[in-house]
Amino acid sequence: MKTHALIAALLCAVATPAFAEPSASDKLDALDKRITRLEDANQIERLQRLYGYFVDKGQWTQLSELFADDATLEIGGKGLFLGKKRVLEYMQTAFGPDGAREGGLANHMQFQPIADVSDDGKTGWIRSRAWVMSSGGWGLPLYEDEFVKENGVWKFKRESGPFTMYTSWDGWGKNALNNTWPDKFNPAPDLPPSTIYLTYPAYYIIPFHYPNPVTGKVFKPDMDEVGAYAAPPGTKLQEQWHKTGRLADGSQPIYTPPKD
Amino acid sequence: MSARMIIAGVLLLGLATPAFAQADLQSRLAAYKQRVQLLEDQDAIENLQATYGYYFDKGLWGQAAALFTRTGSFEYGQRGVYIGPARIQKAMLLFGPEGLAAGYLNVHMMLQPYIVVAPDGKTATARWQGMMQLSRPGANGVWGVGITNADYVKEGTVWKIAKEHFYVTAQTDYDQGFTKSALPIEGPSALFPPDAPPTEQYRSFPGAYIPPFNFDHPVTGKPLKDIPEPVDTVTGRGVK
Repeated sequence: MKTHALIAALLCAVATPAFAEPSASDKLDALDKRITRLEDANQIERLQRLYGYFVDKGQWTQLSELFADDATLEIGGKGLFLGKKRVLEYMQTAFGPDGAREGGLANHMQFQPIADVSDDGKTGWIRSRAWVMSSGGWGLPLYEDEFVKENGVWKFKRESGPFTMYTSWDGWGKNALNNTWPDKFNPAPDLPPSTIYLTYPAYYIIPFHYPNPVTGKVFKPDMDEVGAYAAPPGTKLQEQWHKTGRLADGSQPIYTPPKD
Repeated sequence: MSARMIIAGVLLLGLATPAFAQADLQSRLAAYKQRVQLLEDQDAIENLQATYGYYFDKGLWGQAAALFTRTGSFEYGQRGVYIGPARIQKAMLLFGPEGLAAGYLNVHMMLQPYIVVAPDGKTATARWQGMMQLSRPGANGVWGVGITNADYVKEGTVWKIAKEHFYVTAQTDYDQGFTKSALPIEGPSALFPPDAPPTEQYRSFPGAYIPPFNFDHPVTGKPLKDIPEPVDTVTGRGVK
């Protein structure tokens, strides 16, 4: 459809005086930008998928090379790790040295990506899910990641991977694993979690990086409903706990769709 | 977006622009046409492999085999290599009768594609991964997961499968799960022996194996095919 509109625009260019329309060169610039956007979104999807392929096989060094030097990583409730070197340290300390091992299955498959690129083509985002099928059970992390284009190459700039649900092979009808937290295992994070939340059977939704594509309106999760639980619902203490520990708002930058 | 429309654009621009700017506009359009073509090729390949998956799921062996080139190869787990559509169709009978039958489930999801089209647009490679949901009459259901490494060739304007190599990562009894059950994969068939032995030797879970990455690292640009394979204490691979 967009291509038809473009061709129609080109036809108009032939039929009308030059001063009334952008030049052919300007139109080619616009076309270049649209092709680049498709290429960029494609490359971002591939990065997210490759991240998953590397997790599957414990390829932490290769994985860390997908990150920009000043990238951040936040997975589960563990807190923030700052910089590519710390990304590698987190992975190798928490999950062992590079490589797959006998008796272990840690598939972290990447599905359902929604990739977007900023109007200036320098920043990208993805919402994507992981389907974890492992020797320990099932898991469902969700990703809201930011990417940066450095010298023509896309890299992870911020990885945010909150968990929806983790369970053993008994299944989520009988078993639910806790979210992680900063001192659950080594290494300690550089910063506390940006948002405190619990996983299934509790509910948490990470903000979307894009508005509803039909209404154009931004969906804002109710942040008061997603804090830690320490007291019965409706009590003053619980109200307080909803806000306790939330040192930073975990909201993502909102993508602005291009206006052709 | 079709390349033909881009060409239409070239012609139209040709009418509207002074001659001295023609060469630049023509070369820019040629470059854009190439970039759009590569995106279209990737899309076609994604559809090709997904189509293969839908046929394979339902035991439509004739349809699936028809997607291969004349010398195309099919290799599944440790069953060995079958070459050419006729032999591939025969090999697929090892997964059930044509069209399957009551009690069969043969789902192999084709997901997580990483497709790389060669700059000349004539060949491509891809890696895929997805869950398997399997059942045979009289046996309990099976959960599985596996990786596909595939090669594609464009013959004329049509993309075809030149190599379909499916690596079974793990299979388990539906009720027990990977914590309690690891089902081994099958070797070459005595019923329909393969045309060539398995190209790589590995065990599925609890063994660990990394199907070679068939593309370069997108950031470092270095090959990923030489990532060290995990130790296998049964075959002795990597044991010091």
